[in-house]
Amino acid sequence: MATLDLIGLTKRFGSVTAVDTVDLTVADGEFMCILGPSGCGKSTLLRMIAGFEMPTEGDIRIGGESVTPLGANKRPTAMVFQKYTLWPHMRVFDNIAFGLQLRRLPRAEIARKVEEALALVSLSGYEGRFPSQLSGGQQQRVALARALVLEPKILLLDEPFSSLDAILRVRLREELRRIQRRLKITAIFVTHDQEEALTLADRIAVMNSGRVEQLAAPTQIYDNPATLFVADFIGAMNLLTAQVRGGQIALDGVALDAPDGVRDGAVTVAIRPEDLALLPDGDHAGAWRASVEQISDLGHYRRAILETPSGMIKIYLPKTAAAEEGSAVSAFVRRYLVYQDGAPPREVTRPLPAQALTV
Amino acid sequence: MFRRLFSNSLSQVKTRRMTTTQAPTASFSRKWRGAALAYLLVAPPLLLMVLLIFIPALQSIARTLTISVDGVPGFSLSRYTAFFSDPISVNNLIFTFQVTLLTLAAIFVVCFPLALYLRFSSGRIASIVQILALFPLFVPGIILCYALIRFLGTRGTLDTVLSLIGITGYRTPYLKPDAIIIGLVWEAIPFTVLVLTAGLRQVSDSLIESARDVGADDWTIFRRIILPLIARPALIAFSLNFLGIFGSYTIPYLLGPAAPQMMGVFMQQTFGQYRRPDEAETQAVITFIICAFIGFLYVRTVARQRITHEKDE
Repeated sequence: MATLDLIGLTKRFGSVTAVDTVDLTVADGEFMCILGPSGCGKSTLLRMIAGFEMPTEGDIRIGGESVTPLGANKRPTAMVFQKYTLWPHMRVFDNIAFGLQLRRLPRAEIARKVEEALALVSLSGYEGRFPSQLSGGQQQRVALARALVLEPKILLLDEPFSSLDAILRVRLREELRRIQRRLKITAIFVTHDQEEALTLADRIAVMNSGRVEQLAAPTQIYDNPATLFVADFIGAMNLLTAQVRGGQIALDGVALDAPDGVRDGAVTVAIRPEDLALLPDGDHAGAWRASVEQISDLGHYRRAILETPSGMIKIYLPKTAAAEEGSAVSAFVRRYLVYQDGAPPREVTRPLPAQALTV
Repeated sequence: MFRRLFSNSLSQVKTRRMTTTQAPTASFSRKWRGAALAYLLVAPPLLLMVLLIFIPALQSIARTLTISVDGVPGFSLSRYTAFFSDPISVNNLIFTFQVTLLTLAAIFVVCFPLALYLRFSSGRIASIVQILALFPLFVPGIILCYALIRFLGTRGTLDTVLSLIGITGYRTPYLKPDAIIIGLVWEAIPFTVLVLTAGLRQVSDSLIESARDVGADDWTIFRRIILPLIARPALIAFSLNFLGIFGSYTIPYLLGPAAPQMMGVFMQQTFGQYRRPDEAETQAVITFIICAFIGFLYVRTVARQRITHEKDE
């Protein structure tokens, strides 16, 4: 367990810059998720920390000491890979014990540590099986045990659950969080799945085009996305371009108050679907007149698409909401963020009118 | 494909048997035609194998175990006793084993690094190396032999070049066992490299990286991860090369010594020059039995590999 510091970390492949001057500090025992779309450089960043890729520029420090010149086999890190990477010719015991054998630990100690690691991932009694005799989820748990048994200072996880089905993914995610909290190990988890990141992380680093766009706690990232990219990437968001004139944001069919500090000109208004509320059909200040285009029941809530003068708007409704497809409604904006010229967003929150149909 | 065709056809036939009374006759005859077609497709090669390989082989084995006394045939091991009590025959058999095993060892020493390089490298140099490694595939054995004679023989290219740079006393490997080994290795390189490279490609980068991640160095990764994982392709390359080398004729005949001889040359000489077909047949059966054992190893390895693949799927 240790801190991790990435200082000006850059990786170029020919003319392509995969990771661009990343500065990041991960605290001791912190669970950090690196989140981003495919090709954003998150896996390259992780592979540099693991020692599989050498940085073009910058430094990697673990516990304050530079590990940049060290190869993967010399670093105090352990990695769980995306694909199943158990050695097929070795039994579960040997897969986990391999790293310990290389460290020349006494046999009895190896056996004890393997047993503990298997118990930690709830696979006691599976020592004698070959990887081909395990399910995908079991194989990834063995891979996790193989990494944890070495007691690494930093645990690295490269989308370890992406090949598993949805139910198993959720279960293993919870199990991983439980183990990480119990061992208080510093962990870096790379994923493109925002739900996974929001569930697991103490902090999330959202990456785009090789750079960290935002580094913050999950709630902060969700509630106050620092850039338009983060706003669009994390969760569902209605993004509308508009013009500000005389302190008003002129959207088609509705005018919203421009927050302080926003000057006249082009802006992007970001509205979360849950920040919209339905009002009875009619003219209301700060609300669109709309028709319900489509409703999907998603168990504990309903997702509706409204046709408004500004285009299609997504809205989440409680499952008891009395809205039908084709019905006329008004959509009231309770909270919105305004982005202008790459500056941090400005937030506006408005009280809900008394006649709201949904809250 | 054939197996699927057969299993489909047979299962259709089985289903057909159960529902004969309900199904239309046209469908019934169509399914039977399908099964018949599958058997017809596989029948010619099977028939050829039985007629041209299995029956002559069994006849030969039977003849070597039979001896006529006063015109009455009876079981006897006398031909084998004669072979194994003849020092020349035994020497030739041992020589064949020695050359085969040394050649196999040399093949793996040469081909393993080549295959490893081709698996883990990319770019123009790797492509050139691959082309060079496959080049012997396109050179007929007899041309190779004369090329080696011209290159390795006394006053050949190598001898001349060495003399030019002041190295004298060159002792040619031509007409020695070394020349056979050189020729056979040269001939076996493309096939062995192809099989080993294909086997190495089955070992994914992530398997190697995960070993490096837990602290393994290159040598440990090779010994503990790569070698065990390519044991089967290596055994396949070993068996098929063994079969080719043990029964080889052209290279040992043109490059090797007059005595001892490899079994292929020995058989031909016994049959063609000494006109002793019975002895040649015994030598052939002994060679066949040794090769059949290696063939069994090959078939078992391939069968196991197939079972593993089916399990994985």
